[in-house]
Amino acid sequence: MEDKKRWAHTLAARVIFVAAFLGLWEYVAKSGMMGEKSELIFPSLEVIGGALVKNFVQGYAGMSLWVYIGNSMRLLLEGLLIGIILAFLLSGLSMVSRVFYDICNLVISVFDLLPGVALLPVVIIIFGVKPGVIVFLVIHAVLWPMARNVLDGFLAVPRIYIEAGQNMGLKGASLLWGVYIPAATSYIVSGLKVGWARAWRGLISAEMIFGVASCPGIGLFINQMRTNMNNAEMYATLVVIIIIGLVVQYGVLSPIEKCTVKKWGMSR
Amino acid sequence: MKKYVRLLAICLGITVMAAGCGNSGQAQKTSGNQAAQGQAEDSTGSQAAEDEADGGNQDADNTGGEEATLNIAYQYGLAYAPLSIVKEQELIEKAYEEATGNKVTVTWNQMSSGADINTGISAGSIDAGFMGVGPAVTGVMKGVGYKIFTNLSGQEHGIMTNDDRIQSFEDLIGSSNQIALVNIGSFQHILLAMALENAGYDPHALDSNIVAMAHPDGMAALESGNVSCHLTSSPYIFKEREEGNLHEIMDVAEAWGVDGSFIVGVASERMHDNNPELYQVLCDAIAEAVDFMNNSPEEAAKITCEFDGNSEEDELAYIQKSKYTIETKGLFELASFMARTEFIEEAPGSYEDLVFENVKGD
Repeated sequence: MEDKKRWAHTLAARVIFVAAFLGLWEYVAKSGMMGEKSELIFPSLEVIGGALVKNFVQGYAGMSLWVYIGNSMRLLLEGLLIGIILAFLLSGLSMVSRVFYDICNLVISVFDLLPGVALLPVVIIIFGVKPGVIVFLVIHAVLWPMARNVLDGFLAVPRIYIEAGQNMGLKGASLLWGVYIPAATSYIVSGLKVGWARAWRGLISAEMIFGVASCPGIGLFINQMRTNMNNAEMYATLVVIIIIGLVVQYGVLSPIEKCTVKKWGMSR
Repeated sequence: MKKYVRLLAICLGITVMAAGCGNSGQAQKTSGNQAAQGQAEDSTGSQAAEDEADGGNQDADNTGGEEATLNIAYQYGLAYAPLSIVKEQELIEKAYEEATGNKVTVTWNQMSSGADINTGISAGSIDAGFMGVGPAVTGVMKGVGYKIFTNLSGQEHGIMTNDDRIQSFEDLIGSSNQIALVNIGSFQHILLAMALENAGYDPHALDSNIVAMAHPDGMAALESGNVSCHLTSSPYIFKEREEGNLHEIMDVAEAWGVDGSFIVGVASERMHDNNPELYQVLCDAIAEAVDFMNNSPEEAAKITCEFDGNSEEDELAYIQKSKYTIETKGLFELASFMARTEFIEEAPGSYEDLVFENVKGD
């Protein structure tokens, strides 16, 4: 009962906030506050809604927005998967070897600071010009924050758990799998959240700068809409990006959280 | 229940405050302006366009005031060289004071693309901008609220390849060879379409071969063999032509020579209508700088080489290979081509739809 009430509160607060935001947007758009070209640069909600439909029906260059989303998602999943595996590999090895830990810590600190798009020229020289470059940048976006989180999680595992595991005869990989990973799950989940958001942003900014026309993604679509001064279509694409982000957040990440850390009582 | 009421009240409060901000921005003309300028001077690029909200809106309105302001947006490179002259020699400031006795504050914003400038002008934070004819025609036809007020320069363009097997478009169409150019829908992309049409192919036949990269990145990718072709403009095309292992596919250079319009200036209709003196001064200043570039290129090179990052000799050579003029050439033809090949949705009815009344050319 208590739960249900809380849930209703959350929903009501969010609905009111979103409605107020949309109301404000519509008011600004309709009042012409943004100058005489208001309609062009700050379109009203119904224009953006129309553009949203147009994006999917008509699209750009003969391809519906679905095609662009599909391309982006494919590259994103590839990068995300490789990035997560590498993050576990790096932090796992760091737990096993002290030397590796020292190096890994430095590498994470250094690379986490570098924005992916700033690496673009180097990446092009090394990897050439293909969609793989985008995958690389997604890996770059997800790997370091994820590895940092996982590593911190491993370091926070109480000594006593590890010793208990060792007494049971676990060592190396089995200790990692049997003690470290379950004990660090709340860190891993928060790493996943940060990693996903970074990857999604990294993907779109990379696509906006570096467009491979044979494999066009959402970033390229946004850029095209901007170049052609189709601002309503551009805003509509941003809405699509938000919706995809929310779907992943509430459809994938939240259930993972619910089934693990919340169920186990690690977080509220 | 009380909670929702409070929440609603907060949201409403924010709404009213935001609305209030908008209005007061309009009221405090001068102070808003100053603030926007301070910010713009600090920012190197697109930030100015994003500052579209409060301060910028009113720039061109203060005609009667003692002090006028002019926000100009331009881009980087040789094609914009006359602007360095205007800026360094303060041609606009001097001429405006001479003509009206009043002072004008000119703010120069270096921005990274024509699309950014288009947004800035439609938001009212920029009065005049310089960009490729592609985005300029797009902006005019989309109703951004500006027209072309001068031609600025023409440059050489060309497509270079590092692959001996590629001799003509025939070898590229249907292949997986990649062509680096600055952006999809850019002037360079339009030239590619034009060259393809001239050679009897579908103008969009090579669209899926394009990779969008900035000029220097594209040059690096061509030299390292990561792309097989690079469609670029001066000075990169000059640098690439000097390299022995690269050769040129001539169609693009033939489609649009150095005489054709490449970079044009656009001015907001607001400024043109509300402050005709300032508009005239701006036109004259560009004309004067263009004359200066043509009459004494050596001195011009001294001023501009630093901005373009070239040695003085190279800069002079590049300037002499460029064409600086205030008369447009081929503008209407290009706009019609863009409409026909679906780079823009709407075709201009006449040359006069694109330019202000004082502009000469075709």
